Amino acid sequence: MLELKHELKLNKTRDEKARMNFVSGLRAHVLNDMAAGMRDIYSADVEPEFRRRNRRAPKNGPEVHKAIKTNEYFKFYSSLRVTAQDMVWQSVFPPLERSRPALKQTAARLAGKKPRGTLSLQKNFEVPRYVSAIDVHLMAGNYDGEYETDDLAAGSLYDNGLAVFSFGLMGQNLDDIGQSIAGFIKRKFSDLRPKKILDLGCTIGHNTGSWKDTYPEAEVHGIDVAAPCLRYAHARAQAQNREVHFHQMNAESLNFPDNSFDVVFSSMFLHEVPKKSIEKIMKEAHRVLKPGGLMLHMELPPNDQLSPYDAFYLDWDSAYNNEPFYKPFRDLNPQEVCKKAGFSTKKYVQFVIPSVGWYGAEVRDAAADQQQSVDNDKTGRLTDGVLWYCFGAFK
Amino acid sequence: MSTAHRKSAGGTRRVTKDRVAKSRTVKKSAAVKTEESSRQTMRRTIRGGRSYFFGDPAIDKVLNMVVVLGSEVWTLRERLAAMEAIQIKRRQLKSGEIDQFEFSAEDEARLASERKEFIDSLFRILQEQVAESRRA
Repeated sequence: MLELKHELKLNKTRDEKARMNFVSGLRAHVLNDMAAGMRDIYSADVEPEFRRRNRRAPKNGPEVHKAIKTNEYFKFYSSLRVTAQDMVWQSVFPPLERSRPALKQTAARLAGKKPRGTLSLQKNFEVPRYVSAIDVHLMAGNYDGEYETDDLAAGSLYDNGLAVFSFGLMGQNLDDIGQSIAGFIKRKFSDLRPKKILDLGCTIGHNTGSWKDTYPEAEVHGIDVAAPCLRYAHARAQAQNREVHFHQMNAESLNFPDNSFDVVFSSMFLHEVPKKSIEKIMKEAHRVLKPGGLMLHMELPPNDQLSPYDAFYLDWDSAYNNEPFYKPFRDLNPQEVCKKAGFSTKKYVQFVIPSVGWYGAEVRDAAADQQQSVDNDKTGRLTDGVLWYCFGAFK
Repeated sequence: MSTAHRKSAGGTRRVTKDRVAKSRTVKKSAAVKTEESSRQTMRRTIRGGRSYFFGDPAIDKVLNMVVVLGSEVWTLRERLAAMEAIQIKRRQLKSGEIDQFEFSAEDEARLASERKEFIDSLFRILQEQVAESRRA
């Protein structure tokens, strides 16, 4: 299990660490070994049976899903994956519950420290129902659950949970997405020297900080709707000496002026938002971007660019992991989404970026000089050798 | 058998008293009493329902229990490995010593408390249905 290195990390007993190790190991087994096994069973048994009955191969993810659903291995894979997902968060609760008073004290101390990043929360802020009404990816309490005044426990749950969940694939600081993508962009677009960068739906700011690392001169902002995550994000950035400004805002209606940012970024955000909100978010991104600025969303790859099996595999979360907006998002055409928000089709961009933690900076930078296919069973999938997918457009 | 049962029951009683004493200490020593009392325990049950995959959801539930049990077995092995490593490093462990060892009453009581937490954790999935019914 990955150990967080910053001052907000939880003190865990030997047994609590062992439980987390077990869950990380279980997830690696399900998502690497069992996933490979399920694909082989599909190729050897499920797909041939489908062909025999229908005289053709499955056309899309839902057809694969329907065909594989009755297979015993799929049932074990899925049941174990749900169990492991639940155990991720359950492994964090005992040390977190015990550490809550200390966590608040540490956060208060860090707030006064230099560099002075900022935190702006709003009184009577209305958290959208697509966040307040569900426990996304089986995370009890979701991002916005608050249990006392100035609470930041939900942020800690997410940070420590992600460390267990990712079994090392999101980097030592859980910022592999940010580090891989910001580094890739710097290499690919050396003329882009952003002065202001915005991260939408930043949660605990784990990927926001990578933009500050990559462009130290830039003013970096992160927004989210969940106050406990933002409080935690602020403390986390302070602990790591990153000057980042966090704001409680809804990405559908930003309190920033027109033409004010050079880069508008998000990661693992849009698939947790309903389609109508995605449209508003894209329009807002377009509005706040300066002409020539870059909008970039790290996301799960779209279904129309994947094989039917890989489409089914990624959509598993939508059906079984409390991710109701995941498949509807992946059914969208990213280029169309950008066009609808006012971006020119000619200025559309799409990248498949090798994880810097897995492959190293050389391979990632080499990828910046070539076009890569999205249709790969490592694209956007948390598995050994992950490749991060992102899309967007220049304004 | 009956001796073991009495020992276990006695242990549980002692632990209950111990818990009450501990919670009093915490209240007295709390720096900000009002803050302490307004702090709620974090919710650990999931809204939105859980997916089941086998014809009978009981199979999924039993599988969950087996996995949680597996987690605890692994936890023990890690702890034991740590303990053995320390003992070996200090040259304090003799062959066969663990098999001969008897726990003190205090240690028995602590184990009883930890055993209860272990069993609660093992069957936690069944409590989801209870929590759902209570919410309804």
